[in-house]
Amino acid sequence: MQSSRKLLVAFLAPATVLYTVFLLAPVSLFLAFGLMRYDAIQLFQPVLTLANFGRIVLDPFYRGIILLTLKIAGLTTVCTLLVGYPVAYVLASGRSAWRGILMFLVVAPLMTGEIVRTYGWIVVLGSEGLVNRFLLALGIIHDPLKLLNTQLAVVIALVHILLPFMIFPLISALASQDPDLARAADTLGAGRMRAFLEVTLPLSRTGIMVGSLLVFTLSAGAVVTPSLLGGKDVQMLGQTIYDLVLHTLNWPLASACASILLALQLCFVTIQIRANRRALRRS
Amino acid sequence: MAEPILVLDGIVKHYGDVTAVGPLSFTVDDGEFVSLLGPSGCGKTTTLNIIAGLLQPAAGRVVIAGQDVTDLEPRHRGMGVVFQSYALFPHRTVFQNVAFGLRMRKVPREEIRTRVRRMLEIVGLPGVEDRLTDQLSGGQRQRVALARALVIEPRILLLDEPLSNLDAQLRKRMRQELRDLQQRVGITTVFVTHDQDEAFEMSDRVILLNHGRIEQSGRPEDIYDTPASRFAAEFIGNVNLLEGHVVGADGPQVMVAVSETLKLSGVAARPGFTPREPVYLMLRPERIDLHRQPPNGQDALSARIRRRVFSGDVVSFELDMDSGHSLLCTKPSQDEFRTFAPGQAVWVVPQACRVLPRAS
Repeated sequence: MQSSRKLLVAFLAPATVLYTVFLLAPVSLFLAFGLMRYDAIQLFQPVLTLANFGRIVLDPFYRGIILLTLKIAGLTTVCTLLVGYPVAYVLASGRSAWRGILMFLVVAPLMTGEIVRTYGWIVVLGSEGLVNRFLLALGIIHDPLKLLNTQLAVVIALVHILLPFMIFPLISALASQDPDLARAADTLGAGRMRAFLEVTLPLSRTGIMVGSLLVFTLSAGAVVTPSLLGGKDVQMLGQTIYDLVLHTLNWPLASACASILLALQLCFVTIQIRANRRALRRS
Repeated sequence: MAEPILVLDGIVKHYGDVTAVGPLSFTVDDGEFVSLLGPSGCGKTTTLNIIAGLLQPAAGRVVIAGQDVTDLEPRHRGMGVVFQSYALFPHRTVFQNVAFGLRMRKVPREEIRTRVRRMLEIVGLPGVEDRLTDQLSGGQRQRVALARALVIEPRILLLDEPLSNLDAQLRKRMRQELRDLQQRVGITTVFVTHDQDEAFEMSDRVILLNHGRIEQSGRPEDIYDTPASRFAAEFIGNVNLLEGHVVGADGPQVMVAVSETLKLSGVAARPGFTPREPVYLMLRPERIDLHRQPPNGQDALSARIRRRVFSGDVVSFELDMDSGHSLLCTKPSQDEFRTFAPGQAVWVVPQACRVLPRAS
């Protein structure tokens, strides 16, 4: 008893130290900064104020940034789910000869840096890029489409980058299902599609939730991808914080923005977990 | 007799290069309880899945009530299937599980309610409609799975080892219960099992499978008394098999020599054995008489008890025959046999022997 408790402490200690020193402490600090008054010379004055939060909520510029962040993160989440689910379904069923190759393709984006991948998309989506050349060559369009520096480009690239985070939780949720469940539904008269909708899909709810949480929080906080692919049209919270910290040097406002980003992400987590629990209880 | 409700005609199924089933043909009559019995890998579950439509055969036909359903999807076949894992929907209540098939058939709500209730009563599970399936015991889950399969009034009930996940006590009780239920509902049933006792206790007819083919098919009594092969004899019950040769044949009876000193005449056999043919002499352990003294007027073989095992209802003896063979013999434990001890000399009179073919 005594020794097993010591062992438990020993096992959890490194992670606890890491989280406290590198996560809890800095997060608490920047939350505190957000409540200080901005000062152009001293960076901040030790005076408690809600002015930074007030500015973000009242200023249409910052409100727009928050709404756009929610829109892009939401779209990215929905798209990764729609693209990732069929892939996860095939990989979880496990009989396919393509399984190894597919699995590699799913993991491959994680093996290159974010900047490299994003530049790849510039090559594909630019006005001289692959997509435009292809469409021009086929005569479908006569002037290059503006694909780069749009919200669409950001969503496409984020979907591509974050797909593995959606697929892996889905695979584990689908693979743990008894394959006889769908077969039972089939023999009871459901047919493939109905069996999927009535049995397989609701039973993979936890995978959908975990994948969506990961993709939403990661895309809401994205900096590099929206900066390189979104151009002037796309200003998300992550970029705003980056600019405020490094260029404008308005740390209190940056901290307030970061707090709001964190709050949005926590909100999404809470809603998802509540919905999941309610659905489990209802059924 | 009307035509059979289920016909399998030349069914073949491969997994990769391995032939899992076939060619396999058999029929099942209306109201019959048929067991597909065999060791794991004999193709019994594959056969059941082919009947249900969950697997497509590479060749052959499945005919149900005169209609060729080989290319029909499972949902149009009207089979009630109980899976080994039960495959109850964990996100649904007992009521929703049982109602599932009726809902898919667009049965009106009120009718669903009454039919589900009645079916839960039939399987002996009233009052659990609103529970989730993981709140049920193994036996209860099994009944829910049965109710779910039966409520759609299937033409045939297909059971895939439905008792194997229950503890030994419950399994024995459920055998009888399942058989009673089948008789009461009067439904044609195909039951897959690797357990010989299950198959024998419940079935009208047993189809013994080995390597995807029928080894023997018949009433339990017939398979037990007159196995067609060494596999059938050994798979079902205990058996003594002694290697020997046919010495002389006389219609359904042959004379067999197991050794120079051990010869038996008047042994039952299927017709067609010829002298010098290698055979097994089959003796069921409970069909052997044991005597302390050489019996009068009977050919007896002398032996010595090597080992005695008391297991409640019966006593088993391992005998060393003078011919060098060993023989297993079981006797009711309450008789004089209780006092037989190891080392004791005894005389053996085989009561019912048979001859089985042996590849030389």
